[in-house]
Amino acid sequence: MKSTKYSEKVLEHFRNPQNVGTLSGENVALGRVGNPTCGDIMEMYIKVEDNIIKDIKFQTFGCGSAVATSSMTTLMVKGMTLDEALKVTRKDVAEELDGLPPIKMHCSNLAADALHEAIKNYKAGILVEQPESIEKPIENKSILGELEYLGKGVYYSITNKDYFKDQRVLIRYNGDESIRAALELTKITNRVIISTSSTKIHTDDKELKTQLRNSNVKILTEAKILAVMGDDEVEKVRMLDLDEDSEYDIFVDRLVLLNTVSIPPVCENV
Amino acid sequence: MMLREQCGSNFYNIKIIKHQIKGDQKMITQNSQSSQSSQSYKNRDEPQKHQIINLDYQSSKPVDERVIQHMIPYFNQIYGNPSSLHTIGDKAEDAMAKAREQIAHFLSVLPEEIYFTSGATESINLALIGYAIRNRRKGNHIIMSEVEHISQHNLAKYLEKNGFVVSKVPVDQYGKIRIDKLRKRITEKTILISVQYANNEIGTIQPIKEVGEIAAEMGIAFHSDAVAAQGQITLNPKQHHINLMSISSNDFYGPKGIGVLYLQKGYRVSPLLIGGGQEKGIRSGTENVAGIVGMAYATKLLEEHQAEEVERYKSFQKKLQNEILDSVPHSYLNGHPKERLPNNSHFRFDGIEGESILLMFKEHNIAVSTGSACSSKTLEPSHTLISTGLLHEEAHGSLEFTTGRFTKEDHISKAVELTPKIVERLRAISPLYSKTKVI
Repeated sequence: MKSTKYSEKVLEHFRNPQNVGTLSGENVALGRVGNPTCGDIMEMYIKVEDNIIKDIKFQTFGCGSAVATSSMTTLMVKGMTLDEALKVTRKDVAEELDGLPPIKMHCSNLAADALHEAIKNYKAGILVEQPESIEKPIENKSILGELEYLGKGVYYSITNKDYFKDQRVLIRYNGDESIRAALELTKITNRVIISTSSTKIHTDDKELKTQLRNSNVKILTEAKILAVMGDDEVEKVRMLDLDEDSEYDIFVDRLVLLNTVSIPPVCENV
Repeated sequence: MMLREQCGSNFYNIKIIKHQIKGDQKMITQNSQSSQSSQSYKNRDEPQKHQIINLDYQSSKPVDERVIQHMIPYFNQIYGNPSSLHTIGDKAEDAMAKAREQIAHFLSVLPEEIYFTSGATESINLALIGYAIRNRRKGNHIIMSEVEHISQHNLAKYLEKNGFVVSKVPVDQYGKIRIDKLRKRITEKTILISVQYANNEIGTIQPIKEVGEIAAEMGIAFHSDAVAAQGQITLNPKQHHINLMSISSNDFYGPKGIGVLYLQKGYRVSPLLIGGGQEKGIRSGTENVAGIVGMAYATKLLEEHQAEEVERYKSFQKKLQNEILDSVPHSYLNGHPKERLPNNSHFRFDGIEGESILLMFKEHNIAVSTGSACSSKTLEPSHTLISTGLLHEEAHGSLEFTTGRFTKEDHISKAVELTPKIVERLRAISPLYSKTKVI
């Protein structure tokens, strides 16, 4: 069966998704599942009154079935009590949609999971309107192959800009200095990725934040750099997706690790 | 069991073709009855009655009705087995010899260097496995690029299981093979280099001449998969030191199920199909004469029309690229900005997913393609896009248009008009777009 052989009901929900959007205000909780690497992301917002789901909205990045299952779930559970809604499963949602192609069952039928996540968050008192905890991860764990490729694609500073001109650069987030370095690099190459193992890039510097947002620096979150690979010089890096616990490769030419403290600073071209 | 079947079929699929091909089949029977071959070339419509606009020519092309007309006598009048010694066989043999000459002329090679196969997949298998086995005394190392068609990546796995070593050469951000890295990967044991003429997904034209010169200088055989390039750029294997080259008939509007391996004189491969010794023992099995004649006629049409067609493709490409990149914020071109196939326009859009884009186009009766994981059988994003340095989420948001012989100006206008609306609509329901910058 082709992965896009969808039922008419799925297509109808894809064409006209119900309850798209976000919610804010009191008693609103959010459930978020999936990640961009695996292909689907769903966010489900619920507003709860007297233990009943009074309102529900979603946003989805994903294929046809991802959109349709999200839409259907919101219709099914609006007005239910939290405990009733917790009993709604992926299977129930798929059945309401007259079935899904088998290959899509596991990957994109995440809407029920997002809903359950939202309910759990609500019950745990984790609401949308709460100040988020501030995290400042300093990442300096060593990477497999880091020393071997030092000066051959791995750099601890960007003093010699010639090495980065028109290269695909991955820079590990490590505070404001790494953001500044990433922005600086965009002047000499059009491909700069900044990665962090956290869920977001943090900075207190508002201007820097705006600059980063308006730049073409690609931000990669929940990603840990595991190893550097290549024939003689860096050709790709192996990443760990912390949310999915799965590994994948990014083809890059340069890896920049600022403030590396585990090893004393070394000059380039060692 | 289910899972196993899926895995098995994965090996032969890079993209799933989403549009309905039923229409094409219907038109073949219709058109073979009516003789429209005198109709002027420019006024031809893509022979489909319920108008589905095909902007996914890379996946499949309709057979040109002139080719169909030309093939028909070979099913029931000149139907002989070329190996038979009587007149019926002789007629088929003559037709096949003429076809071989025509294709050799098209490629500027000798007729005896043309070997008929069942299509590009078989040609590539014969080139890689056949060459590797026949020449294993000389070495066991094979080099290919990271952006070869998926069939070659799967062949690499097969060869590695059978004692060969395969190295892959990375590409730059436009998908072009890194010549410096290719040089470094050559060892004393390298017997074969395989690099495509142009990329089948993002349309980047490879520096074939440079690769050929390196291979010739080092005394290594050079195979090129020319399937994506054929009909777009003039193929000339001898000029580029290509010793083996794979092409398929359907990719220039000939019938499916027939292809050619060009094998330069003096180069040898072991056969993969053993039988009655047809094609000088390299490819046994009674020849598909109608297919061979059809393929030859398709190359003849191409010789007449290629220059004019390419000009048209270039104007479509210009319109698609200029207007879509202009009208859609956060949109990018994949592949090389200049050195690319004229029929190929490949985009990506932040924050949205390719299968959804494809479904939206399907709703408007337009067939397009994507490198998104959600549309592949493996649920893996396109290896080509990843090789250019894209992240998975970026590869998911890709959209590919490929134009062809029957593409009309208004098809392009429709695509150009729809694309920003579709992107905007999907972005409105995407949690990623507003947060493309997670900060």
